[in-house]
Amino acid sequence: MSLARYLIQRIFQSIVVLFAIIVINFIIISLAPGDPIQFVAGDIAISSPEFAAYLRAKWGLDKPLYERLLLYIYNILRGDLGYSYRYSEPVINLILERLPITLLLTVTANVLAFVIGVLIGIYSARNIGKKVDTTLHVINFLLWSTPSFWLGIVLMIIFSVDLRILPATGLMNVRNPPQGMWLYLDILYHSILPVATLTLITLPLYFKITRDSMLQQASEDYVMTYRAIGFSENVIYRRYIFRNSIIPPVTMFGIHMGFAVAGAALIENVFGWPGVGRLLLDSIRTRDYPVILGVYVVIASSIIIANLIIDIIYALLDPRIRITGRR
Amino acid sequence: MKEIIYKILTPILLTILILSIEAPQIYIVNSQTTKTASLSALSPITCPRVGGSLVVIHWGDPKSFNPDSQVDDALFAIASQIFNKLVDLDVNYNVIPELAESWEVAPNGSTFIFHLVRNATWHDGYPFTSADVKYTLESIKKYKGVMYSFLRMSDLISVDTPDNYTVIVRYSKPFPAFLGFLAWYGTFILPEHIYNKTEYKDWMDPKIPALTKPIGTGPFKFVEYVKGDHVTLEANPNYFKGRPCLDRVVFKIVPDPTAALQSFLAGEGDVLNNRPPTTEIPRINSTPGVIVEMRPVPSRWYIAFNLLNPILADLRMRLAIAYAINRTELVQKAENGYGYPAEGMYTPAIKWAYNPNATLPPYDPAKANALLDELGYKMGPDGYRYTPNGTRLTLRFTIFTGAESEAIASLIKDQLKKVGIDIKIEEYEIAAWEDKVVKKRDFDLAMLDGFQGPDPDNMRSRFGPGAYLNMANYSNPEFGKLLDEAASEPNPEKRKELYWKAQEIMARDLPYLPLVDLVAFFIYRTSFHGFYWQLPGVEGLNVMERVWWEGGTPVATTTPPTTSSPISTQTMTTSPLTSPITQTTLVSTSTPTSATTVPVAAPSYTQVLLVAIAIVVILVIALVYMFVRRK
Repeated sequence: MSLARYLIQRIFQSIVVLFAIIVINFIIISLAPGDPIQFVAGDIAISSPEFAAYLRAKWGLDKPLYERLLLYIYNILRGDLGYSYRYSEPVINLILERLPITLLLTVTANVLAFVIGVLIGIYSARNIGKKVDTTLHVINFLLWSTPSFWLGIVLMIIFSVDLRILPATGLMNVRNPPQGMWLYLDILYHSILPVATLTLITLPLYFKITRDSMLQQASEDYVMTYRAIGFSENVIYRRYIFRNSIIPPVTMFGIHMGFAVAGAALIENVFGWPGVGRLLLDSIRTRDYPVILGVYVVIASSIIIANLIIDIIYALLDPRIRITGRR
Repeated sequence: MKEIIYKILTPILLTILILSIEAPQIYIVNSQTTKTASLSALSPITCPRVGGSLVVIHWGDPKSFNPDSQVDDALFAIASQIFNKLVDLDVNYNVIPELAESWEVAPNGSTFIFHLVRNATWHDGYPFTSADVKYTLESIKKYKGVMYSFLRMSDLISVDTPDNYTVIVRYSKPFPAFLGFLAWYGTFILPEHIYNKTEYKDWMDPKIPALTKPIGTGPFKFVEYVKGDHVTLEANPNYFKGRPCLDRVVFKIVPDPTAALQSFLAGEGDVLNNRPPTTEIPRINSTPGVIVEMRPVPSRWYIAFNLLNPILADLRMRLAIAYAINRTELVQKAENGYGYPAEGMYTPAIKWAYNPNATLPPYDPAKANALLDELGYKMGPDGYRYTPNGTRLTLRFTIFTGAESEAIASLIKDQLKKVGIDIKIEEYEIAAWEDKVVKKRDFDLAMLDGFQGPDPDNMRSRFGPGAYLNMANYSNPEFGKLLDEAASEPNPEKRKELYWKAQEIMARDLPYLPLVDLVAFFIYRTSFHGFYWQLPGVEGLNVMERVWWEGGTPVATTTPPTTSSPISTQTMTTSPLTSPITQTTLVSTSTPTSATTVPVAAPSYTQVLLVAIAIVVILVIALVYMFVRRK
């Protein structure tokens, strides 16, 4: 099998998976209890049945499920993710507006967590059994089990309320909005706390994986052979153990990157960060079906594309895949 | 794989948790302040000081900028600055004039004549006329606006405009509650010259420019909306009551109540709109420069008894539960003392309609036990009562998620256990709760809260026979008849009599059991003055037109432009120099106005960010590729 055929096969598979995801999500969301009309129409005490009927007809929610599903798929094929019930705006606009804001948060935090996590993971593995390793391990467990919104509030109280050196919430200074380049710097300044929180929450994952993977590699036979030969510990670690044990954290990093477009809903909610995660949360809360589906479609596509890229890279590197189509 | 499942499930599960954060109600408030100056609602705005911006920490994003089309509590506070209504409600719940400077009600109670103010203009310069009012009211009818049923649009015959400043509204039946509902919600007057074009299919057509950049007649003009972050408004110098005192009002959106409180305490906001946890109130109030004011609101927690359940259909059972519940304890423990134990069948916050004689059974567990014994529910050895056929007396208590409702429910569970009733709390997220309780009526006891105003006509939709919201299935024909009569009784005295009688009947039948009457908190910085809750009879709910800041520039109050001799210009120029504080404020207030003319939410930074992120992603991929290849 040629590389081209393999690629076509993979792309075809991806499209099938994407459609399966759309159909399953559509059905699950439609089966969830709660009526989107009621949320748009508002408080059950205020809204009128006439208004609810008007909306139901306007959005075609009076049609049967399969009909709505077919219409939705037809629209997606035309590149139309539909209109938000809540905001009466195209879903794609709502997502695209928030995407860069969310990526600033998730990508930065993921990169930082990866770098710091791997570094202290290596450090910890090289000092296995010593006090510093135990300390790092304990801190790691504490962070791992900390709820993100709680950590966010704690950092906010320390740095914003008590020390008053960092802004607590929001995207920018709304009292005196800065202009031009200062605006970007202001956004970066406002992103410090949410990025720090998300980094601290993600970091233990990389730490743990790196450390365990290093320790596992260190106990391999080839390491013993090198030691017997008389290579210095530094060389063994730097040239062999590190290189072999960095693969799992890098894989994890790639998976996290695929999820970056999903945002970090809880942290975005706490810090009033207008990202995709918060959009999703709000939409679930208000049963805004088109937005929920739209966000899921974007997340699923991002993950599928990330996987596709990884597969293509593997295919380029590994002749077995190219030839047999199998790993 | 696990990781993926975790990643997908966590947001969903936690969303359900977060659903418990209850959206604040529109607080409408009872008379308490006596601080009434000689002002009236239409008197021109007088500012001790001018300038500065007010940052309101707000709990949610508006759904659109059409304030009349759907229930949009998040927009309500913002729309109140941008738009005007014909009449408004003040903090004491009285109707005050706004765009209608006066009005007449015909003796038959079904025709209303409004005389409009003559100097109001839209933010784009068009004059405001009766055509705008006609368009707004007719659109509410045509497009089934949020107030469609409250304004009884099916009975509306016509909206006539004999001249540019007179509007005559005719109903087919007397409608005594009309002005109250017209002053309340979803009745902001919309610009006819923008909305009424044939190419728009309805008033929510995305092509309408005012849906993203609203045009109103109100004290503040719309500047920008950065979704999920803030809405900025600036003073309207041509406002018909005069220029508002503040330069800008910014609504800063922070959905999480705890984070909103921290943000407020960190000095990022001047008013806190999110309702903080009641445990935090003392701490907020003791913060220097911050004040918490409280007022009763016409919202309450109450229990619905499912009368379709044979156990609860017996009045003695309902009485027994009422005797067994200690409402004072609920206020103390679930609300930390911020609230009132309910005493009557209707909210006391709407004073004229509240019948203090239609009281609830007092806390008396002995009586509850006696009633239960009489009903034949014998106390078992385990402390629970058993029905004659040997099953335990168990009732499901269906509540929706939320800290307050959970706290109240578990207290009631304990209180009812003391008289031997076994309560099983079933907690649902609000949408599922509504499905189960309101639609399917599948519950024994259900807890609910809600706004009981602005007029006791609200009782018809909550407790009236056959009403959708009447989940208890209460259907006393006498009660229903009284409510129907009251709904079209033009004489206020007679109306009150009818509502009082209705409450007495309800107290006797006890289909619902009120628990706690709520209070609203007004949390703000002391350097700001002139809020609506301080100006009863003058200021409409939520309107910030008379709010002024201590740091603003002092105004020489009596300087008519005709006498502006060199002396007055002298004072004008020297006053900022005399105090350094005013000078700094001048600087700080002049920069934002220049900043606001430039739209900040431009796609430019979006692009910059996207490019930066793309570079990072490419770098990472390249690194991975290189690494894997070298291996």
